Amino acid sequence: MTFYILRRILISIPVLIGVTLITFLLLHATAGSFVPGLEINPNLRPEDVARIRHSLGLDQPLYLQYIQWLAGLVHGDFGRSLIDGSPVLSHILERLPNTLELTFTAMLIGLLVSIPLGVIGAIRRGSKDDNFLTVLSVAGVSIPGFWLGLMLILFFSVEFHDWGLPFLPSSGATSPLGAGDLTDRLEHLIMPATVLSFGYIAIWSRYTRSSMLEVLSQDYVRTARAKGMTERRLLYVHALRNAMVPLVTLVGLELPGLVSGGAIVEIVFSWPGIGRLALERALQYDYTMVLGLTTFAAILVVAGNLIADILYAVLDPRIKYR
Amino acid sequence: MGDLTDLSSVEVQRQELALQVADVTRRPTRSYWGESWSRLRENRLGVASGALILLLAVIAIAAPLLSRYLTHYDFDHQDLDRIFSPFSRAHWLGTDELGRDTLTRLIYGARVSLGVGFLTVSLYILIGGSIGLTAGYFGGWVDDVLMRFVDVLLTVPTIYLLILITSLLPLTLGPVVIRHDAVSLSIVIAITAWGGVARLVRGEALSIKQRDFMMATRSIGASHVRLMARHLLPNVLPVMIVVASLGVGVIILLEAALDFIGLGVQPPTPSWGNMLFNSQSYFFHSIWLVILPGTCVFVTVVAANVFGNAVRDAFDPRLK
Repeated sequence: MTFYILRRILISIPVLIGVTLITFLLLHATAGSFVPGLEINPNLRPEDVARIRHSLGLDQPLYLQYIQWLAGLVHGDFGRSLIDGSPVLSHILERLPNTLELTFTAMLIGLLVSIPLGVIGAIRRGSKDDNFLTVLSVAGVSIPGFWLGLMLILFFSVEFHDWGLPFLPSSGATSPLGAGDLTDRLEHLIMPATVLSFGYIAIWSRYTRSSMLEVLSQDYVRTARAKGMTERRLLYVHALRNAMVPLVTLVGLELPGLVSGGAIVEIVFSWPGIGRLALERALQYDYTMVLGLTTFAAILVVAGNLIADILYAVLDPRIKYR
Repeated sequence: MGDLTDLSSVEVQRQELALQVADVTRRPTRSYWGESWSRLRENRLGVASGALILLLAVIAIAAPLLSRYLTHYDFDHQDLDRIFSPFSRAHWLGTDELGRDTLTRLIYGARVSLGVGFLTVSLYILIGGSIGLTAGYFGGWVDDVLMRFVDVLLTVPTIYLLILITSLLPLTLGPVVIRHDAVSLSIVIAITAWGGVARLVRGEALSIKQRDFMMATRSIGASHVRLMARHLLPNVLPVMIVVASLGVGVIILLEAALDFIGLGVQPPTPSWGNMLFNSQSYFFHSIWLVILPGTCVFVTVVAANVFGNAVRDAFDPRLK
């Protein structure tokens, strides 16, 4: 086990190097050796420009620049914004909690809804309910999240407001005055989290269903039935517990998407998360910021994959490293 | 008496079985393709979805004709006297904030969505297919290098990469200028999205390479190119077809999302995504401007996904 984990960690190192190399090269190609105002300042002689570039390390060969940049990453230096020079990390730390709040809530809703739906589909296999759930899950993966978001805003924010009903806020994570107020936060959270959870529900309920069907055909289920166990206890205690194992890994597979999965939803609801930050800054040509965020997100993906794999191995001892 | 009945029933069963066996041997042999094709045709829902996609494709291709003879408006024809017009005989689905005919714009939007969907998928099947085939066929260090690269590609979050690249447009690369048009977008999306296909095709190629017929063909002196193109490719094709048919819906959604955040196809070219982007500012005037383009995306993607599932059920050799 320890050996497996160690090997798994070692394998992610080349991936990490590859990912950072790609973002570094993109950074070099977009922002590269650009220093704001340096070339157009008439007071600077060419030798001054050269001196400044030297002090910034811009005259060094590319691989040395990469290594220095990498060393910075290890110390949490994700670069600085091209626009205001603020460190990318401070923006990440400011926005990350919002993004995680949104994604985790969506995953929670996803689990709470998809497990019962999957179980119902498995028990009543082939029935009208089951067919309806199939249709629902196709719809769930096919609906454009941003459009669903717009429709919810149209209904619960605009129309409810017009009808004089209590309406939901259409954007942001808190009201300007209500910051820190729990109900206020929940009111802002409910719509984006619901939209984001649709995709999870569509996929997870399918997997719960097929996993449950597989478990129900096992011998030990028949044995339990033969011994006179009540159907309720059989389903919810014996079958469901075993059916959950593949689902746990499936949820684990979503870990890498924690910071990037909700980007579009963040944009629709003006949710102050990392995805929205990336778009805002991309529109202002702040490439260092966008690439800093991309690097950060990619590192989280590597970490997420690692955790998911280890989780899998812990839960299912049959998994051996191939 | 009882024994006799049993005996005779056993005898009847034996004869029936013999008949069945004879029947099976008499049945003409059918190729994998013929069999898959007839399985697909039996799936009524799948066929209906395929027909719907085909219909949408015809509408998209015939867009200039339809706008001339059916709706009588160009997609960029403005009529500032008739902005936010409701459904009427002149404008079947109303007009937008510049008095442009919504139906015409939706018809032209189908060109972008379906065009990008099919072009992107063809491109990434081409890239991912060749790389996966090469990696799987040669194995060894070629496989290692290519697959590590795929690992890296799959690790960088696609949406960030797309936001970055599309915000760089228009980009001049020598004589080529890459703009915010449908073809460029397809290329950009395909370049970021071929990793999964490469991984699948490589796995399939690895397993087929082990089969005896490959060894036999090789032993009579077939070249690498011939082995890959004539013997490996036809056997990997089913997997590629399945991936392709399941990919169209995903790509249409992604492209619409890019248009919606303002980094995809740019106005005045209408696309369902950028129509939705526009509609955000006019919520209060006309909810139809929000409902219609989204419904188009939704219906198209549902059809693409249902058809994709049907193709998978019929063609995927791994499901048998």
